Amino acid sequence: MKLSWRSASREAKLLLIGIPVLLWTMLPIYHLFLFAISPKDSAFAGKLWPDHPTLHNFEVVFREQHYYLSHFWLQLWNSFLIAVTVGILTLLVATGAAFAISRLRVRGGRLVMNLALFTYFIPAAFLAVPMYKTMSTYGLLNNQWALILAMVTIAAPYSIWVLKQASDKLPYELDEAAKIDGASPLQLFRLVYLPLMMPSLVAIGTYALLLAWNEYLYAFLLLSNDKQITLAVALGNFLAADDSPWELLMTVGLIYALPPAAIYYAFKRYMVGGLTAGAVKA
Amino acid sequence: MASVSFQSIEKTFGSTKVIHGIGFDIHDGEFMVLVGPSGCGKSTLLRMLAGLEEISGGTIAIDGKVVNEMESKDRDIAMVFQSYALYPHMTVAANMAFSLKLRKADPKTIEERVAKAAKILNLDPYLQRYPRELSGGQRQRVAMGRAIVRDPKVFLFDEPLSNLDAKLRVAMRGEIKALHQRLKTTTVYVTHDQVEAMTMADRIVVMHDGRVEQIGTPLELYDRPSNLFVAQFIGSPAMNVIEGTVRRANGAAHVDTAKGVKWPLAGAAGADGQQVAYGIRPEHLSLAAKGASGSVPGEVVVVEPTGAETELVVQVGDEQIVLVTHGRPVVNPGDRIGLTVEPAMVHVFDRSTGQRIGG
Amino acid sequence: MSPWQAWGAIMLAPYVLVFLVFVVYPICYGLFLARHPASYVKLADDPVFTRSVVNTLIFLVVGINLKMLVALCLSGFFVQTRTWIKWLSLLFILPWAVPSIPTILSVRFMLNPEWGLVNSVIFRLTGADGPNWLNEPPLALSMAILMHIWKSLPFWTLILIAGRLAIPGELYEAASVDGASSWQKFKAITWPSLQTLYLTSTILSMIWTLGDFNSVYLLTGGGPADLTHVLATLGIRYLRLDQVDLSMAAIVCALPLVLPLVYFMMKRLSK
Repeated sequence: MKLSWRSASREAKLLLIGIPVLLWTMLPIYHLFLFAISPKDSAFAGKLWPDHPTLHNFEVVFREQHYYLSHFWLQLWNSFLIAVTVGILTLLVATGAAFAISRLRVRGGRLVMNLALFTYFIPAAFLAVPMYKTMSTYGLLNNQWALILAMVTIAAPYSIWVLKQASDKLPYELDEAAKIDGASPLQLFRLVYLPLMMPSLVAIGTYALLLAWNEYLYAFLLLSNDKQITLAVALGNFLAADDSPWELLMTVGLIYALPPAAIYYAFKRYMVGGLTAGAVKA
Repeated sequence: MASVSFQSIEKTFGSTKVIHGIGFDIHDGEFMVLVGPSGCGKSTLLRMLAGLEEISGGTIAIDGKVVNEMESKDRDIAMVFQSYALYPHMTVAANMAFSLKLRKADPKTIEERVAKAAKILNLDPYLQRYPRELSGGQRQRVAMGRAIVRDPKVFLFDEPLSNLDAKLRVAMRGEIKALHQRLKTTTVYVTHDQVEAMTMADRIVVMHDGRVEQIGTPLELYDRPSNLFVAQFIGSPAMNVIEGTVRRANGAAHVDTAKGVKWPLAGAAGADGQQVAYGIRPEHLSLAAKGASGSVPGEVVVVEPTGAETELVVQVGDEQIVLVTHGRPVVNPGDRIGLTVEPAMVHVFDRSTGQRIGG
Repeated sequence: MSPWQAWGAIMLAPYVLVFLVFVVYPICYGLFLARHPASYVKLADDPVFTRSVVNTLIFLVVGINLKMLVALCLSGFFVQTRTWIKWLSLLFILPWAVPSIPTILSVRFMLNPEWGLVNSVIFRLTGADGPNWLNEPPLALSMAILMHIWKSLPFWTLILIAGRLAIPGELYEAASVDGASSWQKFKAITWPSLQTLYLTSTILSMIWTLGDFNSVYLLTGGGPADLTHVLATLGIRYLRLDQVDLSMAAIVCALPLVLPLVYFMMKRLSK
């Protein structure tokens, strides 16, 4: 095969970009992995690959054999439970709202949509302290429902926006045909709307779930009891002392990072299309 | 099967009134066509009957019962939409069965009715397909099948053939008409195409700017249009309309145009000196035999042979007159010819009101 | 009310409830806490506050422009059709898909001056000690900015890729025939089409960067000596010091910047 000079130099230029991009992207993640498979002493030797790679760290974590890990499984479960609950609740709230605004053309729908959009654009970090004080007032501090409700509040606006956009693409005549066929509002929702919205619903459910799983600030503010905190907060707590077992921390971190990566790759089809479409429209 | 009655119907969108006091009756089993240009209000009227639009004023009654406050699903009507509105995630069979499933009908009944409708419309091979796998004409038939399965009191059609190509449209026209003859369900059909109206209707309602211009059978509208709008809307090519003044003298009468052309006028319509619009359809004009008296002189501009007929455009005075004649007369652009008018086929309208004068 | 209107209200109600209870109330409460003029005087007198304003501005100006420029270039890279580039793009998404806590902590340890990977490699290559990355304020802030870029770059690159893919290929073919170079094609075709998207993305990115708590807090904790705080982490600092009114006052100070940006984005999207 004859490579022309032009195409060879173009490939070289591309590689010149590609290799740094690869290194830049993977370095922190590789480092995480590196620490997780390194035995305690060699982890701090600053090597690029451990002399004796081991899975021992994982064993310690899974057996909760360290003070900082005493509630690992419970905290993992908390993260999971809260994330799934947020996903489901967000779907319920957002789907109903999008249906009401887009199909039922409810009075005041436009206003609610704009208010939701406003909430979406305000950085969540700005609302964190007021939310903390609010939950305190409602008596919900240290209750997992505080985090769940806070995350639903944060995830709902964008969800409603995406669902409304997708919903507007369905021709209105379908609703009219269903009305004439004799459908009640609930039957229209259940038998016509939901089936046609399925891909968007999957994207939004996943979005809300991952948002909650990845959240640190709100979880850290609203939950403090070791038995209630999520894995994210537990990770942050490791930083408190100087003699923390860093290699165990990184192992936990790796475990914590795997589900979102897996979910993202599994649902890649739905995610990229559904979520960036809203932004590209701008 | 049922009668439909519109009484003093008015419709306002925001501050704009689009329908101004419309009232007429549709008899049981009738195929009624609402026809008119875009924006005349025909679709709005249909949608008010369907329950898809609020009724701003007046009442609509189906089978004697006022339905203003009734939900669409309680009115016992079925509708075929312009864009078919088939449920994309359901098979053809599921689409047709949907309304019955909503009413929790017995599965056996559902199967029977769907099979029967599929047979009438030749949809048997497509029952398990999805709408995206069908052609336009097939989708239209599924939409009709969905309506038939309901066995409603009234069928509503909202410009169902607009999205089909010309050939398919002609075929579907026949199918819809045959369906009506078979099922005899009262049908209200909306279209902007006057050919569809003329070929399919038992009676036609011609609408314009939210008002009824005329109601009648196709031939009534063709033979005796009650105003200029109907006269020029019905019939293709459109009726020739010439402005002029009636002149009566010594028992003879004609209509004088500004350029001095005299159009023959029989009958008593129009007083001497009255400003009128003189209407004569292209098919009621013919080329005069050489030397015939009373013919209208003109010069041929365009000759358009269409096979069996020939359409001619003739310059008469200031006007371009269209004439349709059978066969292929030996005429060329530039020829000076004379036009003969079929006297009984002349229509006279008052110039200011547009209303028909005389019987 | 028809059943349709009734159900519309019922289905909208849950979100309206959430909105009132968890957005309106906290906002009102927050503004209420920030009502004392004295708080603002205290803020102005606090060197930590003034320092964080500067940090935040640096973060915004440097961080966002750097990030968007790189995203623009990379978007051009990733639309090239090569199999290995496609595989690379799958990996490229990871920083965004993966939670930030473990990755930020990973970087924190990489930058540890004694045993971190970075300084170990520097030592091995040059025999000299690498800098104290997270303890020298300008370096620490730079690392926080790089961390933020690492995390958010994939998302914006994706957006710009989508923007590029929307440009009809024939335009480029016509330009090739006309003899245009790559740079000329970019200037005449790519940039005009991407301009609006680039601007909107920059504005939206500003809003989100203002809210990036994790990149600073987990990397430097705001230190050393409170010298790398940004607006997002400031609120927590004052909360810890039991000065919630200052937390809220600091946020209120940011509103003149945030609200116009939000208004701009809302105008764009709610068409």
